[in-house]
Amino acid sequence: MQELVLVGIVAAPGLTFLLLAFVWLLGWTPRERVVARVTATVYSLMAASGIWLISMMIRDSAEATRVSFGDWLAVGEYHFSLELAGDHLSLPLVLLTVVLVGLVGSFSVRYLHRDRGFFRFFLLMNLFAFGALLVFTAGSFDLLLGGWELVGITSVLLIAFFDERREPVRNAIRVFSMYRIADLGLLLGIFFMHKLGHSARVADLFPGQWPNQSTNIAGWSATLVGLLLLFAAAGKSAQVPFSGWLPRAMEGPTPSSAIFYGAISVHMGAYLLLRAEPLLANAPWAAAAVVAIGGGTALLGTLAHRASSDAKTSLAYAAMAQLGIIFVEIGLGYPTLALTHLCGHAVVRTLQFLRAPSMLHDFHRVHTAAGGHLAPTGAHYHHVLPEGFRVWLYRVALERGFYDALLDRLVAQPAMRLSRWLASFEPKIGNGHGGRPAPAPATSRVKEIEG
Amino acid sequence: MLLQLDSLAWISISAYLVLALITFACAPKRDSGPSQVRGALLIVLGSVLAYAAGSLWLFFAGWALTIVPVWMEDRTAPKVMLTASGLSLFVAVLLHSAGEPGSTEHRIAFWAITLAVLLRKGIVPFHFWVNEAFESPRLGLLNLLFNAHLGGYLMIRFGVPLFREVASEALSLLGILAILTAVYMALLAISERRPRRILALLCTSQASFILAGLENRNVEGIMGALLHWWVVAFATTVVISIYRALELRSTEVESPAGFLGFAYHAPRLAVFFAVAGLALVGMPGTLGFVAEDLLFHGSIESHPLLGIGLPLATALNAITVLRLFATLFLGRRGSHVPHILDARPRERWALTAAVLVLVAGGVAPALPAALRSAPAHTLSGLLAKEEKEVRPPQSLHTSIWRQPAAR
Repeated sequence: MQELVLVGIVAAPGLTFLLLAFVWLLGWTPRERVVARVTATVYSLMAASGIWLISMMIRDSAEATRVSFGDWLAVGEYHFSLELAGDHLSLPLVLLTVVLVGLVGSFSVRYLHRDRGFFRFFLLMNLFAFGALLVFTAGSFDLLLGGWELVGITSVLLIAFFDERREPVRNAIRVFSMYRIADLGLLLGIFFMHKLGHSARVADLFPGQWPNQSTNIAGWSATLVGLLLLFAAAGKSAQVPFSGWLPRAMEGPTPSSAIFYGAISVHMGAYLLLRAEPLLANAPWAAAAVVAIGGGTALLGTLAHRASSDAKTSLAYAAMAQLGIIFVEIGLGYPTLALTHLCGHAVVRTLQFLRAPSMLHDFHRVHTAAGGHLAPTGAHYHHVLPEGFRVWLYRVALERGFYDALLDRLVAQPAMRLSRWLASFEPKIGNGHGGRPAPAPATSRVKEIEG
Repeated sequence: MLLQLDSLAWISISAYLVLALITFACAPKRDSGPSQVRGALLIVLGSVLAYAAGSLWLFFAGWALTIVPVWMEDRTAPKVMLTASGLSLFVAVLLHSAGEPGSTEHRIAFWAITLAVLLRKGIVPFHFWVNEAFESPRLGLLNLLFNAHLGGYLMIRFGVPLFREVASEALSLLGILAILTAVYMALLAISERRPRRILALLCTSQASFILAGLENRNVEGIMGALLHWWVVAFATTVVISIYRALELRSTEVESPAGFLGFAYHAPRLAVFFAVAGLALVGMPGTLGFVAEDLLFHGSIESHPLLGIGLPLATALNAITVLRLFATLFLGRRGSHVPHILDARPRERWALTAAVLVLVAGGVAPALPAALRSAPAHTLSGLLAKEEKEVRPPQSLHTSIWRQPAAR
């Protein structure tokens, strides 16, 4: 029964997505009320099932609930096993995802009322929930990769939600680029898991129960896989040097910012490292890199958070700072603390993001209740530092650690220059306009391009 | 044996006929004139003949038939390069008939086949004809020609079984060139702005994965290549058909000055484009994810350093796909962009069928994998054996594809 419930929880948002997509494809766009009721029903049932599942496991003192469907695909020596697992690491995150997505869905019914993209938002939210639950319950890293990619795609499509403006679309492409490059780390990491551990199943690679698992992969092999996973995790969790995408992702609607960049999506990098924690335990250099990257991100996050001028960007950097600390906890070998921190942070940050549009109203209410303006806090720390250093830190904070500029200068621009240089050797055949003469761009369009 | 209708042939013919039906259903009226229909039918006939061929001579006849419609076009590079590929194959057929297994004639014949494949598939340095071919208004014809993937089929059906003694060295070169093509085209695409050129680069880059995978000595890579064949065929058909439909609905598409925002009026076309485009670059839930997963494993296994080129090319192509999607479908619809129609019923059903193939293959990959199991196992078996011993290849000619090799 518990296995069935676990499968039901993971499959429900996927089936909801398919159902909504299918009726839309047939030409019927469900009304807002229908979408709202379907969402409320599905997520209430999922939350109740999740609570029941966890309480049953506590009652039985069970370590994990596993459901194996055998090999989804087996070719030669390669086996893609379809297995779901709910253990001490994944079940809290499953429940967290279900509850927060349900709450955000309920919030969005009013927030996006009569918005042109109302239906699109709920469609993508369900696909995201399915991807996230797949990541958290995946019994193999191959399956985890599938959910991981789904989360990335839905995230990007929601960043471009308000596509009437050009910036959200540009930022979506930018975020997608970062995701895809960082995902190479996960892809290669999984390949080496297959090679070194002869499997990508979590139970084979890390026998035992989380957080007391072990692994046979050790030495430089563990360091290599650990660093590759760190590369992927840093991309997903906006750690340095990939941190520049997080404020760009704030272009999406507030509910999606809350669930993606406050609660679930942004924590997936940390989850990946928690899942692969036995590897890090065998790879001190990789663990040190996790601590260094986490520490650097926490410092940058706290600085940039203070120098940000809008609420959502400020919250994004605050989230990044906390994520950095979670990475440090993982690198230092405190997985239970990191999991607790992760869950608490996700809940608080979701609330903050959802309240962000009403922040001024909240401030006024607090100030009114206090009978005047509250004194700013924290300024006394600043006075300890020399003024020149403070100014330098302020510049670093304003420029967000220069990481975006560095990535542009060291990666994006050289790649574009290389592309144009290679294109210059291509034969000048045709004009790319289907055999017709290229239309001369109108002045307004030239301006648009230059803009 | 003149015809050889084994599992490899009939599965390839069935898939290709479905693809042809989708292409015909999506073809706009302007692209359905008598000469274009004649050309399309000739390509379909030639491709089916090549798939069913049991001898190199008949395969050559099919290959040559598919090139005939290209001569109706006024584009030089496709004419020259495809004719050169035909001539190269003709030389190979002649030399194969004249020589004994293991002889110099056989060796030259295989290199001639390799050259024909390189020319036909637009592998670097013979890639430029594809760019010019994509300038043609007859994108439907080009789609049928491009997605027959006769180059890959030639290697599987005749190249490796008939010339096992030289296949290994030539395939290594072919595989390396294919990986280089994938990366090179993906790199070119990231700075390209014109949608037609982007489509050409994207299609060539992704199609070269097939050859890269076929060259792998392991069954994972070969299976990945064979599945990717279908992914490329169906996904690029959807993407090309939608692009052509948009091009005829609005001239802005040819040289977009910004984001065109067509999703506002054509949301279904946008969804089909997004799903097919993302399937092409390995979106989970589609056959592309499975195919690329297998391909990467196989390629990195075979070429630990160079093999990383495939995931890198996929990452770059994914960015290009999203950029193209954003250019065509996202953004505010400018005042200069006219109101356009969404997918018409005929287009809707055809595109749904293609997308269903991609999604169903992704949800239940065991079925397509089973359909491709025999050729994948046989080819990997042949290549593995070839490295150990050289056998007279003539006996392999008849029915090696019917049963999976016992492994």
